[in-house]
Amino acid sequence: MRFNFPTWTNRFVPVLIVTILGGAAYVGAVVFAATDPQTLNIGHKPTQPVPFSHKTHAGRLKMDCRYCHNTVDKAAFAAIPPTATCSNCHTGADANGSVSVSAVHSDSPNLALVRQSQATGEPIDWMKVHDLPDYVYFDHSAHVNSGVSCVSCHGRVDRMDVVEQVKTLSMTFCLDCHRNPDPHLRPLEHVTDLAWVPDEEPEVIGGRIREELNINPRTNCSTCHR
Amino acid sequence: MSKTWYRSLRELENTAEFQEMLHREFPEAASEFPKGLSRRRWLQIMGSSLALAGVSGCRFEAETLAPFATRPANRIPGKTQQFNTTVEIAGQARALRATSYDGRPIKLDGNPDHLSSGGASDSYTQATILDLYDPDRGQTPIESTGGSKFNRSWIEADTFLTEQFSQFAGSKGDGLCVLAESTSSPTAQRLKTALQDKFPQMKWFDYSSLSPVNSRGGATLAFGKPVRTEYDLESAAVVVTIDSDLLGQHPEGLRNARSFSRGRNPDSEQMTRLYAVECEFTGTAVAADHRVALRPSQIAGFLASVEQALASDEETHAADESAPWSQQVFAALVDDLKKHPGQSVITVGERQPVEVHALAHRLNQQLGNIGKTITLLPDESSADTFDEFVTHAEANGGSMLLLLGGNPVYDSPADVEVADLMEKFENRVHFAVYPNETSAVCNWYLPMSHPLECWSDATLYDGTYGVAQPLIEPLFESRSQIEFLAGLLGEETDGLELVRQTARELYPELKSTREWERVVHNGFHADSTAKPITPELQNFEGPAASTEWQNPVEVTNGELEVVFTTDSSVLDGRFANNAWLQELPHPLTKMTWSNAAIMSPKTADALGVKDDDVVRLELDGRQIELPVYVQPGQATGSVAVAIGYGRTHAGLVGGDVEEGVAPVGVNAGVIRTAGNRYFATGLKVSPTGRREELAVTQDHYAIDKVGLEEIHGRVGDLVREGTLDEYREHPEFAEHRVHHPPLESLWTEVSYDGHAWGMAIDLNKCIGCNACVVACQSENNVPVVGPDQVRASREMHWMKVDRYFTGDTEEPEVATQPVTCQHCENAPCEQVCPVAATVHSNEGLNDMAYNRCIGTRYCGNNCPYKVRRFNFLDYRDEMEAANRELMNLVLNPEVTVRSRGVMEKCTYCVQRIQNTRIEAKNERRPIGPNEIQTACQQVCASEAIVFGDLNNPESDVAKAHADARAYGLLAELNVKPRTKYLARIRNPHPWLAPPVESAHGHGGDGHGEEAHGEHAHADERHDAEVSHNSVPAPTQELREEQV
Repeated sequence: MRFNFPTWTNRFVPVLIVTILGGAAYVGAVVFAATDPQTLNIGHKPTQPVPFSHKTHAGRLKMDCRYCHNTVDKAAFAAIPPTATCSNCHTGADANGSVSVSAVHSDSPNLALVRQSQATGEPIDWMKVHDLPDYVYFDHSAHVNSGVSCVSCHGRVDRMDVVEQVKTLSMTFCLDCHRNPDPHLRPLEHVTDLAWVPDEEPEVIGGRIREELNINPRTNCSTCHR
Repeated sequence: MSKTWYRSLRELENTAEFQEMLHREFPEAASEFPKGLSRRRWLQIMGSSLALAGVSGCRFEAETLAPFATRPANRIPGKTQQFNTTVEIAGQARALRATSYDGRPIKLDGNPDHLSSGGASDSYTQATILDLYDPDRGQTPIESTGGSKFNRSWIEADTFLTEQFSQFAGSKGDGLCVLAESTSSPTAQRLKTALQDKFPQMKWFDYSSLSPVNSRGGATLAFGKPVRTEYDLESAAVVVTIDSDLLGQHPEGLRNARSFSRGRNPDSEQMTRLYAVECEFTGTAVAADHRVALRPSQIAGFLASVEQALASDEETHAADESAPWSQQVFAALVDDLKKHPGQSVITVGERQPVEVHALAHRLNQQLGNIGKTITLLPDESSADTFDEFVTHAEANGGSMLLLLGGNPVYDSPADVEVADLMEKFENRVHFAVYPNETSAVCNWYLPMSHPLECWSDATLYDGTYGVAQPLIEPLFESRSQIEFLAGLLGEETDGLELVRQTARELYPELKSTREWERVVHNGFHADSTAKPITPELQNFEGPAASTEWQNPVEVTNGELEVVFTTDSSVLDGRFANNAWLQELPHPLTKMTWSNAAIMSPKTADALGVKDDDVVRLELDGRQIELPVYVQPGQATGSVAVAIGYGRTHAGLVGGDVEEGVAPVGVNAGVIRTAGNRYFATGLKVSPTGRREELAVTQDHYAIDKVGLEEIHGRVGDLVREGTLDEYREHPEFAEHRVHHPPLESLWTEVSYDGHAWGMAIDLNKCIGCNACVVACQSENNVPVVGPDQVRASREMHWMKVDRYFTGDTEEPEVATQPVTCQHCENAPCEQVCPVAATVHSNEGLNDMAYNRCIGTRYCGNNCPYKVRRFNFLDYRDEMEAANRELMNLVLNPEVTVRSRGVMEKCTYCVQRIQNTRIEAKNERRPIGPNEIQTACQQVCASEAIVFGDLNNPESDVAKAHADARAYGLLAELNVKPRTKYLARIRNPHPWLAPPVESAHGHGGDGHGEEAHGEHAHADERHDAEVSHNSVPAPTQELREEQV
């Protein structure tokens, strides 16, 4: 015999429809929110093999970004410095056990990997923090030489002990600036000064620099995708 | 001009299959299951890609960065560096420039500072980079004992060698025999001499399947010593190639192509005229004004007749129009040679016997060409002594045979059983880059380094001393040839030191480190180029004059002539494992992944065979079976077969029977004997009844308008050409060949004020050599798809070189036309993309955003040029396999690697544009007028392709677009292509020239002189009877004209 739902259950039909629609909307919203670059990218903070502190070096010691990332104005990549750069200050003891007078923290256990790398020639495997998709071709030199500061994409690295991603670096993020670069341009001498505060309206300074350097950011697909 | 053009005979015959193919946009659609791939495997592929999508999660995988411990000086991570080097391919040294990315070479090009190429290169050079990363190369020493193979270390190999050589030290080398592939390396030569001093009883023989035996012999006969010839084709008025691929496979092919194309300037007073007398259609003949197809055995008689005619005082007359074509051309040729003493060049190809070469030298001497258009240089190369090896091995045998490179078991003449001869030696050691057929019969195989992995040196064709420097540490456990030889001597084995020592001995000025470093930097020692010589002409008996060539050939089965050709893909078989070259369409046949029995339509008819029929070729009791390819222009009564195929131990691409990979093509060496290395008479062809479909690209991606007859008529609209007289009378004939209604755009016209990238391709210079196709493949990570996919029309080359025949099928003319994306300003592809994956940039580039593409293929449908390519499968799958991962290193990191389901096409090398733009911007300077070169432009020996900014009047491309010969392909569709073609100008002898037609074919209505914009003709095609509304249209200028 066929089973029929009793009539009183009919009142649940609208509830059921609402639940299904509502559920679908909820799932959609969660997926949307979860895959949004805001959620996915911001706050990415991998642990590095060597506890290098940008706060100490770039912030307290006021070292210029380009002391280590010295290819930033010459090439697409702002290269991670070779171990030799670390060893300029953090030399370990030499073969005779004597330590250079200028050496800093020559026996710190935190720097063991650095000394090991210097001795063996094996690279240190740093974790990549700011990772653009492989089909995006970003060029640091094109930006740095046009007066776009490091801080625009990387945030106040000079205040971070462990570097984390603070901007979405999504396509919208790139396009917003390419469409209206003025507020993000600054005099070239202040590009690596993360704490720099303009003394007039950023748009005004930016506009002037854009004129001067003939900056016309392009928004073609092939600007970034090849 | 109403020439009828055809791309293939199938098309000319208009078969049902062809009709079917024409009406399908993508000849085999994605809905059809890929052949050669089982459903199970298919599901595996699908499954794994889905699984990957799942595990990769929300964020992209964590990546690590591994900086150097100490970064080398001048190294900027992510920036390419360039190094000059020298690479020897089949004994021919080439001055090259390698591009290296983060320590791995990714591209090879000609060294622009050396005259031999001027920066151009050929397809072999381009593809050599792929060999470097080929996992099928020898990776470790291999010992074969008791029928099994064992991987050994070099320590074990050295133990074996030391033991052997300590015995030879006692016996002064008695029983030791070396068979070395010919090399021009002075260091190898020096070490050879040292070995001979140390082991005086040692026997050393040089061998190369491609050694220029005949040209050496011819020069020796003519001048008493071998000489090398260098041509100045730019200032020559008449060039005669006798069975010679002067602009292609000649050792100086690139230099010749460049100098020839410069002399082919229709605006100059004297445009070079080229006669080609040959058997199989060569690339050189593509450029010829007059070509005569003769069987190779008739060619000697032809040249002898030329000598006779030149010697006689009689005035030359035009041959009767009803006379055979060969006689007509002969008369014109003799007339031209008589009129241009000291301004002609006669050159003979390696295939012809010694006497013909000598005769050409004599003719050149008599015509006063030597010293003017021809320079003679001393030839210091060592002669081929393979015959002596055979005699020695047969008589003596020995305790050890050491083979340095080469593959004699595969490529030596069929009547020499090299494998049996090798058995006469107790130990057989093969030292080579690839383990091959020869290694298979040796008890030791030792891996040799790739030329990009080691220090070496070589002597270029013109005698210049070239240095090879390593671009990368050896990827496998291999050694360079010179290090190996030095090891045998028990000497210092540092490659750099070995080369330096040679350099010091040869050129004392290189003792200074500074000078040496300069030479390494430049790649060659500029002051070492050989000085021209003027040897005395000897008395000798030339070939007998005969009149046989005048008579039409009767095709008699059993008396056919077989011609062995060196293939444009695999050369003598050494590139058999190179997938780029295997898939490269042959310039004339457009055949890939195979060789065939190539014969003319008349021959095929007489034999009762047609395309794809498998036939048996029998010659002196030896036989092979392979499919027929009917090729217009092959000499009647001859069959051409490419050598270098049918490799049984090449690798996973070219065939490896031990791994169950069938050979590609058929080994023609089986019927090629020592006496008949180049051609032979007495061939019998018999059908087997089987058919085998060849992977031919020629009808693919047909630019079709409605109806085949229309196609034939309209090919003349696609590839436009005229004669020199026609051009002089109506310089703008090309532009006016197509009439169309006024062109009005449906869309708002966009103006381009900044840069406007454009290209121009000069059809007058293109010889269809295909180097651009491989260069593009190398630069843009274009995948290889394999023969089955090629048959399904799924080849991925971004660039195709169309070639069209016209005229009689036995004596056709041919024209080639490279076609890539034309970057139309009104691009039809962009209008149909539903997801805006292909859109226009504000500099006029037709951009392709792969990540947006959802694979509807609408754009490919709507492209009138058929230059869009779709990734039907994940062609990188092959590379992802664990054992093929190495091959990923060949990829250019500046270009996205596309995956399945994505449309792709030529980008005008946008990565080069972007990088140059950024560089210029950083240096605060404008981009130079000709600063950006596309990969196809860079490689082109004949300078047919130019690229640049159309808005910069200084640029070559702007000048080319303003040239009178410029026309847009299918411009009548108002797509506004950014690539323009320059019409081809033929320079026929007046006796053979077709009557000059009016540029419009309107019978002298004065149309040509009127000042009008190109869109002003509001009427009909002259040969079509349709008449349109003929309201005069307002002149609408192309933007280029405003520049």
